[in-house]
Amino acid sequence: MSTTTLALIPLLPLLAAALTCGLQNGRRAAGVAIVAMLGSCGLALSALKEAWGMEPTGDPLTFDFEWLTVGNDTVINFGFVLDPLTGLMAAMVTFVGLLIFIYSAGYMKDDERMARFFCYLSLFAAGMLGLVLANSLLLLFMCWEIVGIASYLLISFWFHKPEAAAAGKKAFIVTRIGDMGFLIGILLAFKTTGTLTLYNEAGSGILQQDLTGTVFGISVAAVISLLLFMGAVGKSGQLPLHVWLPDAMEGPTPVSALIHAATMVAAGVFLVARTFPLFEVPLYEEGILKMTHVVAWVGAITALIAAFIALGQYDIKRILAYSTVSQLGLMMVGLGVGGVAVGMFHLLTHAFFKALLFLGAGSIIHGCHEEQDIRKMGGIWKPMRVTSIAYLCGTAALVALPFVTSGYYSKDQILAAAWGEPLMRPVFWIAAAASLLTAVYMTRQCLYVFAGEYRGGKTPHESPVTMTAPLVILALFALGMGMVFETSIFAKLQGEVIHDNFVIAVSMAVALGGIALGWLIYRGRALGQAADPLAITPLVQKLWFDELYAATAGRLWALAIVIAEQLNELLLFVRDLAVLLADRIGNAFAIGGDRKLIDTLAFDGMCNWLRSAGHAVTRPQNGFLPGYLRLIALGAVALGVLVFWIK
Amino acid sequence: MTLHHYLILAAVLFCVGLMGAFTRRNAIVVLFSVEIMLNAANLNFIAFWRYSDNPELLHGPMFTLFAIAVAAAEVAVGLALVIAVYRHFKTVDLESMNTLREE
Amino acid sequence: MNEVIAFWILSTVAVLGALVAVRKRNLIHGVFALLVFFAGLSGLFLLLLAEFIAAVQVLVYIGAVGVLLLFAIMLTERVAGDDDRRMTSRGWSWGLVAAVALFVVLLLPAIQELPPPEAAQAIDPSVKELGHKLMNPYVVTLEVLALLLTAALIGAVTAAQGVRMPKEEDSQE
Repeated sequence: MSTTTLALIPLLPLLAAALTCGLQNGRRAAGVAIVAMLGSCGLALSALKEAWGMEPTGDPLTFDFEWLTVGNDTVINFGFVLDPLTGLMAAMVTFVGLLIFIYSAGYMKDDERMARFFCYLSLFAAGMLGLVLANSLLLLFMCWEIVGIASYLLISFWFHKPEAAAAGKKAFIVTRIGDMGFLIGILLAFKTTGTLTLYNEAGSGILQQDLTGTVFGISVAAVISLLLFMGAVGKSGQLPLHVWLPDAMEGPTPVSALIHAATMVAAGVFLVARTFPLFEVPLYEEGILKMTHVVAWVGAITALIAAFIALGQYDIKRILAYSTVSQLGLMMVGLGVGGVAVGMFHLLTHAFFKALLFLGAGSIIHGCHEEQDIRKMGGIWKPMRVTSIAYLCGTAALVALPFVTSGYYSKDQILAAAWGEPLMRPVFWIAAAASLLTAVYMTRQCLYVFAGEYRGGKTPHESPVTMTAPLVILALFALGMGMVFETSIFAKLQGEVIHDNFVIAVSMAVALGGIALGWLIYRGRALGQAADPLAITPLVQKLWFDELYAATAGRLWALAIVIAEQLNELLLFVRDLAVLLADRIGNAFAIGGDRKLIDTLAFDGMCNWLRSAGHAVTRPQNGFLPGYLRLIALGAVALGVLVFWIK
Repeated sequence: MTLHHYLILAAVLFCVGLMGAFTRRNAIVVLFSVEIMLNAANLNFIAFWRYSDNPELLHGPMFTLFAIAVAAAEVAVGLALVIAVYRHFKTVDLESMNTLREE
Repeated sequence: MNEVIAFWILSTVAVLGALVAVRKRNLIHGVFALLVFFAGLSGLFLLLLAEFIAAVQVLVYIGAVGVLLLFAIMLTERVAGDDDRRMTSRGWSWGLVAAVALFVVLLLPAIQELPPPEAAQAIDPSVKELGHKLMNPYVVTLEVLALLLTAALIGAVTAAQGVRMPKEEDSQE
């Protein structure tokens, strides 16, 4: 595995993006993008194979090259790293991405800007892969931003819809807030260690050093990890920066599947996993509080609240969006309590079944003639058999149906790890409650969508095979992946598979009990016509997060605008003052100086004096002969005196 | 009689003539004065000749002779001019003849 | 002794004559005073043993110049002289000052500069000698003088006659 091979993994989609940039034909663009992704997938799988052969505790393979030199000795490197974590992520991103690309070829085939869609998708893929492979915090951040841009472009793809344009802006701006913390974290890391490289052959990478020093009494490694976590909070939609994720559903469904389920939102989780050694450093020297605990708590609260809000939503994609937020919270919990292996395992399983759910939702929406409100659906089971089966598989995985789904295994490990640490028991219960709610709202959704009679307008129809085939493939992964890969993944990622019977019992109870609860509440109701008992107003209104932000940040912004306007007025006033001053000075010089002094005094005065002098000189010329004679005589006198004196 | 006597006499006569030329308004009187001046100069010549080292050169009388001739010619022409001027200005008053003046 | 007396009488006559000539309002009186001045000067020439010059002085000055002046006066002025007009020109005091100044200047060499020869040299005056001198080496001067006199004659005639502006082509020449 050489640098070139690794570099090609993100570069192939980048090339596809450049090529499709100017294309008009959508199918050609789709072809280019899919081919590039295929290539990337192949390379990523071979990289994974190599990474899998590495020793788990050894140093990862790094490929660095010097990018620029600051001053005399500070070198900024760009480079890639290959270890099981990276290999896994790269393989997942390329594989899921490939499936979604194929799906999009069918989904977007009637859109007139299809070529541009694939261009943006390829750009996104390139950025994501670069992020995953990066060995330098700088490269990681750059790809982070590329991914953010691509997300913005894709969310507001149908930009003539004002909601879509606004959603794109919101996503970008909210993640930007997190990115600010990320950037400060990078700067602090650079200042502390003198390098931005994560792993170094010389052992001087950021993650290989023991960082000393404190910032306001807190260890510097913990502060850096906190700042990096801010970036993750923004990108992965944790509370309080989660508000952009539901709105991002304005984008086309493949976008939601790829970016907001499987990959981009996982970038935050991946970041924490990548820089995990920093998170494990205690906050205070003698304490036991670590950033991992903070991460777990943030994740837990997010998981619970998002699950509550999902209960009150009626848009099929919005339910899934809040579900994503909740599951991301659970991933953070996994990272916080169990380490990299636990969190990444759930990320992997979640990628597959959430992508499946979104693509399935897209298929349902397509089949219901672009209808997204679940109250207008129902009885989809019969007309859209394949989609329904696949969707139910995904739901099962999400709910963590015991033993047969991948979600069960990953969630079980999270709960087990949480239970295992006595300090994190509260987190355990919160996570369990969130899982319960997950089961409830998913049951609710499925009953709304699949059961009963169709409440919409025209008859729904099944989607074409380009869209259903990826669903089937993903369903297989959603069901089988957990059982098959659990042990190997944990082994490679230095984790420990925990089998705690109590936890297993709890998770089984939570999953089955939630389904039962949902069944009891919703089965038999006249869904759509009657009121929804669980969709109380606060939940429907998303707990008023957006309104709160508008009221505070929005007000702050308006204040800033007013201040800026006042400053502008001040500047204008100063400008007017300066102009007036310049005008006066100019006048003083022009009139006072120029006109009075030079014109009148010097010029006119000189002319007048010359005229008088000339006049005086002409006065002897009076034609008065005797006068002339006298002057001659006087001249002669003068001459005589002169001669006399010379003599 | 020393030379000085003659010289001082000639000087006096010259200045009398000069005074007349400066003082009078009448052009003809100015001509009078010019004649007086010329004669004073002639007197100077003769006096210097008389008291010179070699009077046999006759430089005194020679010069005086020519000076007299020239003076006569000059008077003739001058008076002719005065007459011509009189015809134009109807007067010989010097103060009236100021057309050459810058206004 | 006689010489001294003669000198003083003649010089007085000359000076007085000159003074009267320039100070008289009546020009005819002035001319006659001038003639007296010429006569005085002629006497002084005689005293300086320049007989020929004395004769020439009487001939030319008294005879020609004086008469000419008389004619000119008669032709140009009412003989009685100026009546209500001033005799002296404007600013005549300045003229007086200039004359006096020049007199002083003239005195300076007259008094100081020359070591005076004490006595006039005696020489035999000879008209013949003069004639010799005129012919050579002063012959050129003589001819030029003749030319000058001719020119003066023509000039005087032309000037006195006046230039007639021809009004028509058939002007009288």
